[in-house]
Parts: sequence; C-alpha cells; structure tokens
Amino acid sequence: MPPAAASSIIRAGAGTARCVAQPSQVPVVASFSTTASRPKFTKARRLFRAWERADGRVFRRHAGEKPSYLPSRRREDDTDKPFPLNPYFKSARVLDERAREVVWEKIMRDGETIKAVSAEFGIDIRRVAAIVRLKEVEKDWIAKNKPLAKPYAKAVLSMLPTHRINPNQSNEPFEAINELHVHPYTMQQIFWPTSESRHFTREDAAEAFHPTLLSADKRVPHPELIQMEREVEQGRPLWDASERFKQAVMESERRAAEKQVAKTIHEEKKTTRVNTERFEFRFKQFNSENVGLKGRSRSVVGWRYGTPHDDRSKGHQIKIPTSVP
Amino acid sequence: MVVKIRLARFGRKNSPFYNVVVAHARTARNSKPLEVIGTYDPIPRADPYDDSGRLHKDIKLDAIRARYWIGVGAQPTDTVWRLLSMLGIMEPKYRNTEPRIPPVLPREALPQQNSP
Repeated sequence: MPPAAASSIIRAGAGTARCVAQPSQVPVVASFSTTASRPKFTKARRLFRAWERADGRVFRRHAGEKPSYLPSRRREDDTDKPFPLNPYFKSARVLDERAREVVWEKIMRDGETIKAVSAEFGIDIRRVAAIVRLKEVEKDWIAKNKPLAKPYAKAVLSMLPTHRINPNQSNEPFEAINELHVHPYTMQQIFWPTSESRHFTREDAAEAFHPTLLSADKRVPHPELIQMEREVEQGRPLWDASERFKQAVMESERRAAEKQVAKTIHEEKKTTRVNTERFEFRFKQFNSENVGLKGRSRSVVGWRYGTPHDDRSKGHQIKIPTSVP
Repeated sequence: MVVKIRLARFGRKNSPFYNVVVAHARTARNSKPLEVIGTYDPIPRADPYDDSGRLHKDIKLDAIRARYWIGVGAQPTDTVWRLLSMLGIMEPKYRNTEPRIPPVLPREALPQQNSP
C-alpha cells in the first residue's frame, strides 16, 4: 500500500515538526503517536495521591503478621475481605509455616498416621498428604543447599489470613473433613415404598439407590471416627475410645499399604525386563482378547480404530496432573 | 496372502506410538488389522524420582497371541522380530560382524601386466 505508507510518513513528519517548534510543551513520548500525553493527572489519580498521603499512609509499609486489608465504608468486620467494594469475596485461610511444620513432625517424626493427624487438626486428608510431600521436597532442597523463595512465601503469607496450630492443646478445625463426594447413583429420585414400622437406615438407603453403593457412613474419609463416637456414646471413656481410634486408623493405613505392595508385586509379575546396552525394555503381558462385545471396549490396549481421539479438542486436554507417581 | 506382525504408527507429529498388529501384508499401514496384540512406545522414558539417567521403553504385548500367530505362519517385520526375540519367541537375528574380505579373483580377471 504505497499511498497509505506515504501518508503515515508525512503525518509523522508533521508531528515531530510541531514538537520541535514548541519545546516548552509536553514532548511526544512515542515518536509514532501524534497525540501528546495528558499534561495533568486525571481526577481519580489525583484523589488517589491525596488519599495515599493522608489516610492511606498506614498501608505504605506492611506491619504485623496479619494482612491489613482496606476497610469498607459499611464498618463491618473486614478481616477477611481484601476488596472493599466486593463484600462477597472472602479470602480463605491458609495454614501458616509453623502449622505445616507441626503436621510434618507428627507424621514423619512421631510416626502418626495421616488419618489421625487429619482428624486431630481438622485438615483434609489430601491436604495433609500434600503438606508432607511438599515439606519433604523443601527439606531435600535445604539439604542440597538449593535456594528457597523464602521472601516470596513470606510476602504471600502476609497477604492472606493464616490458621495457626498449637500442638499441645486442642485446636479449632481448619476445614470440614467429612465432606462426601456426590455419587451419581444418588442423584436420582426414587419412589421407594416401605412400611412405617421399618427401621430404614443409611445402609438401606444406599441399597435402594444401587446394590453396590456403599452407605454414607462407609464412604466418609474417616469411618473410624464414627465408630469412636459410637463407643463414647456407649459409655467408653474418651481417652480409651481415641486410643482405639488411633489403632483402627493405623490398621486401615497398614491394609492400604499392603494393598499397594500387592498391586506392585502383581504388576511386576506380569512384566519382563530385558536390559540392553542403552535401554531397558519392559514387556507387560496383557490379554488382547478382552475387547468387549463389539471389540471396542474402553479397556482395550492400543490406539483405537474408528473412534475420534479427543486429546486435542477443547476441554479434553488434561493440563493438571491428577495423580502422584 | 501373507499375514504379517508389524507396527502401525499412531501418536502425533514428533511423538510416535505404535500398535503391534497382525494384518495382511498388502493392507495399508493404519488400516483395521486382524488383531491388535500390543503397543510399543519408542520414546525412552525415565522412572519418576530416578535421576540416574537410565531410561526404559514400555511395551505391552500379548505373548500368547504372538506365539499363536507365529505358529500359524505369520511373518514378523524386522522391528517386531527384534522385540519378539527379546522375549524368546523368535530366534534373534544377528548382524554379520565378520570382517569383510574381498573374494579371491581368478587369474584371468587380474590386471594383465604387459611385458615389453
């Protein structure tokens, strides 16, 4: 486009000429722009400057351990609302450094189970496991003299409300630990006539939904806690019940570990390892005749024929790892 | 028609992945085979949490079906032959490593020296 290019050159030339002619004015910052930047502050910016010098002076430097959020005009409790114009946004509490260290010590040093620590402090089992894993990584880095981003962690923690754990006394729970995943079998409405005299329990309700569905009491993350509460109800002293709870939890964790080991052994039994100079070849035996009725079962090994592979379509790309190897 | 045990390339650009298939020799590479008996991931991978630098390749194979197809006369390609020989299903093919010696030529073929 020769004419357009030529005209833009001419215009740019005119702009620079004006700048040279009036040097006292605000200079053009971007040489390609002919519009001079605004010589004065906008009203909002001016007011912000004024506020910053008067009321906002306390926010210049952060002091103390708690985050200092801007107060809203409604004079409410603003300790967990970072945005004064949005009272519905509340920042969730996070565990502070000391609390995470306590969790790690309990599990790795004192040998307590993840479930017991989760029940004691009211932290989700998955979070407890994640804390232990990340703490292990941190300690590994410290041992290897790798630099840690401590100032960053400190800055982020100072901007969020934190939850403290006192190891020697009872603490308020950090979060709800007995939340249940809504099973799709329970999403249906069923008309299930029963006699009024019948004692219809959670087990019966689960069976009404599906014969293989476990009851809610068994699906909660800590079914041993229910047993403990039952025993306390029946008159067993609390210390005894909690001791029995710890043993039950230890037993369940041991069973889970055994299951894991058995699975690994089974996998290893099916695998033949052949070492060559460069690589190890791992041959895994499988039954290729398990292909389902139409030969297109989902469990068939190998790339499938005649079915679209949706790994690149929107929404099917798994970017976040869902399991820990 | 000859039945072959061969690889069918799936996967994406720069990330190959193979099905080990039993198919008629004259059918197209990725056409529907008689049977899929395994997979072969040619990209060497490291174990998680292992920084020794040792890599491995993952192969899934139904050795029983492979033996059956070999028994009824299916012919593995060289690559599949190499994999099957690791499991002891085929006799391994070795490269000829003997030094190459040119054949002894007959006297008539030697360059003639013209005497003056």
